Amino acid sequence: MALITVLRIAALWLVLIQAALAAEPRNVLVLFSNNRLVPANVAVDRGLRAALVNPADRPTQLFSEFLDRPEFSGEAYERTMTTYLRDKYAAHPPDAIVTVSDESLNFVVRHRDQLFPNAPVVHTAAATSVLRALPALPAGVFGVPIEHDHVGTIDQALLWHPNARKLVIVSGASERDRQREAILRRDVPAVAGGRTVEYLAGLPTAEVLRRLSELDRDAVVFTYGYFQDGERRLFNPRDATALMAAASKAPLYGPLDTFIGVGAVGGRMPSFEDMGRQAGQILNALFAGTAPSSLGLPESTPTPLRVDWRQVRRWGIDESLIPPGTIVSFKEPTFWEMYRNVAIGTALVILLQTVLIAALLVERRRRRKAEEAVLEQRSELAHASRLAVAGELTASIAHEINQPLGAIQTSADAADMILQAGGDRRDDLLRIVTRIRRDNMRASDVIRRLRSLLARHAPERNSFDLNVAMNDVAALLFAEARQRQVALELRPAPAPARILGDETQMQQVLINLVLNAMDAVADLPEERRSVVVAIEQVASAIAITVRDPGHGIATEDLSKVFESFYSTKKKGMGLGLSIARTIVEAHGGCIWAASSPGEGASFHVELLGTEGASATTPGLT
Amino acid sequence: MSVTPLIHVVDDDESLREALLDLLGVAGFETRGYGSTGEFLLDPPPDHPGCVLLDVRMPGPSGLELQAAMQQQGATLPVIFLTGHADVASSVRAMKAGAVDFLEKPVTRDTLLEAVRRALARDATLRATRAETQRQDARLAVLTARERDVFDRIVAGRLNKQIADELHISLRTVKAYRAQVMEKLGVATAAELGTLARDRRDVSR
Repeated sequence: MALITVLRIAALWLVLIQAALAAEPRNVLVLFSNNRLVPANVAVDRGLRAALVNPADRPTQLFSEFLDRPEFSGEAYERTMTTYLRDKYAAHPPDAIVTVSDESLNFVVRHRDQLFPNAPVVHTAAATSVLRALPALPAGVFGVPIEHDHVGTIDQALLWHPNARKLVIVSGASERDRQREAILRRDVPAVAGGRTVEYLAGLPTAEVLRRLSELDRDAVVFTYGYFQDGERRLFNPRDATALMAAASKAPLYGPLDTFIGVGAVGGRMPSFEDMGRQAGQILNALFAGTAPSSLGLPESTPTPLRVDWRQVRRWGIDESLIPPGTIVSFKEPTFWEMYRNVAIGTALVILLQTVLIAALLVERRRRRKAEEAVLEQRSELAHASRLAVAGELTASIAHEINQPLGAIQTSADAADMILQAGGDRRDDLLRIVTRIRRDNMRASDVIRRLRSLLARHAPERNSFDLNVAMNDVAALLFAEARQRQVALELRPAPAPARILGDETQMQQVLINLVLNAMDAVADLPEERRSVVVAIEQVASAIAITVRDPGHGIATEDLSKVFESFYSTKKKGMGLGLSIARTIVEAHGGCIWAASSPGEGASFHVELLGTEGASATTPGLT
Repeated sequence: MSVTPLIHVVDDDESLREALLDLLGVAGFETRGYGSTGEFLLDPPPDHPGCVLLDVRMPGPSGLELQAAMQQQGATLPVIFLTGHADVASSVRAMKAGAVDFLEKPVTRDTLLEAVRRALARDATLRATRAETQRQDARLAVLTARERDVFDRIVAGRLNKQIADELHISLRTVKAYRAQVMEKLGVATAAELGTLARDRRDVSR
């Protein structure tokens, strides 16, 4: 099976290779009129190669030949070239011939019967004047000619320089130069509109440059460049133009796109590269078997207006006079044009950043508000819980207030009776009054402490002594302990146990833990009901321990006891320990429960002491 | 009333205790204050007319427990309870155990003194009864053990024959004891013996 597949693939390959061998490459002879390095030739060549379809199964081979006009000319030369080309290309007979510019078209037409008469000819960059000079275009010759637009170019130049009073026309000494000079002399007067027209024709280059350098700004120069000057020195038109533009004191125009960039202002210029491309497309059609007539070829190559923006600025041409559609070269792009994407990108990034920052600020604000709300809620909840605890402790609170009130009443009764009985018992009365005052203090103290415990206040962050805090709620706790017949023992730390936080909230933690412990021992026999609260300094921390000898907590419930609404008691909402935890954790401390079977339970709170903290980080206040 | 009654005040609240002591003092009583039930038990009251003002709830043993302890020890002082918060359960328990009164703090002078007077009256009655019983007990004390056995059966309404059988003695010996008992107690008839026995039972109840 695999072998068959391999054989099949091999067979397929053989077929493909045979097909490739069978299709011989197509040969195209490209015959340039001038020197290989004339810029127009280079441009045409580039366009031609770019447009030419070059299928892999039948590649097209381009052969380039140069007639080297105007350096070489004459009948003998043409004969030699004909023989040379015929003999040379016998080995690769061309399937098509491309002529570039005027002379090569003329050459091929004249010698076609000796030069591969069956090969179709595609002409490019040939002036319409050349074609019109031919008696008739032979069969098999196709192409789009150039209508050199010197008239349009001069017309445009005069529009841009309305103050110009002199038109200077520069031409060379070669045969083509002379032909162009003739055409210009024929056409220019009509377009010059009465201005002085000066022809610098066939002069030595040095003379031309000197004359141009003597011009004023009221002149406009026009040239095709030249191939040869009055001293028979050879140039290509672009180089000649470059020299002229450099020397000229007046703006210089020409009708060839190769002049853009060498100093010419501009003109109505066909693109040589486009011409090469056009020729390539005609070749493609020919090779594909399409009749070139069906291609809808234009009458002539378009001659769009082109300008060198640097020259526009140099000569102060009114920009509003540059028509839309003009091809502008060397225009320094504006900041916006040059960095449009970067600018848009940067702006977008800045915008996004701004939006992001704004969003973050809003978010931070919202979070801060949310945190404040949480803090507020926690404080509210703690407050509500304190109120609930107060409700639970009503009997004890009433007792705490009733006790001194009862004592006061009895003392007053005693004093009353002493006074009624008469006699001098001043000392007794003084003692009684002192006692009344003391009891009054006692009662108002209870109320003051209760009020501070029950007051709704924003959470504070002060340094306070936990011993003092515990002492402040001791009366209440003892009253409740008495009420419940529980032996309560409070063991403050031997030294001040200072922590940072909210005193009332920590008192609440103490109350909640003690009440919880009292609940735990409620059903023990009276002599075993005891709760011990101890505050100790453990290294840098302050530890609160609340122990009860109750039934203890099952190991699996140890962590659950701090959850909201978790309660094993019949009464109670199960919020006390949950609130204690919330408060302790808000103080950066931790709370946990421990219990071993038969030994009751202990609740532990650990908080960072301020003394310890400052001791470990000396210098920090 | 020849002797000044002694009022014991047991309350852990120093102010109230002292105020009560002052009030009772100016009302003409002798007073003693105790800060806890333990203090009271460590310092037993002398046999002196008086009563106890007792706070129900105190650290350590409560007033109710003290009341129970006093009864166990045979102390007979009437008890007035003071409480900061009267709950039905403890007041019922206190009254059942013989408390004279159950007063709620703060207590007015009149209420307090009224209760104290009642308690003292109860104390006086108790003391009088106890004196009568003791007097009768003293009369019965002249009887020998055997005579007492016979006396108990006579007042229980036994016939001489039954008494002889129960005590495994002869009928004649029973009659001799009977004559001795009546002579020693100074009564002429068995009916008189019965009255005497009933009175004693009433007192000791």
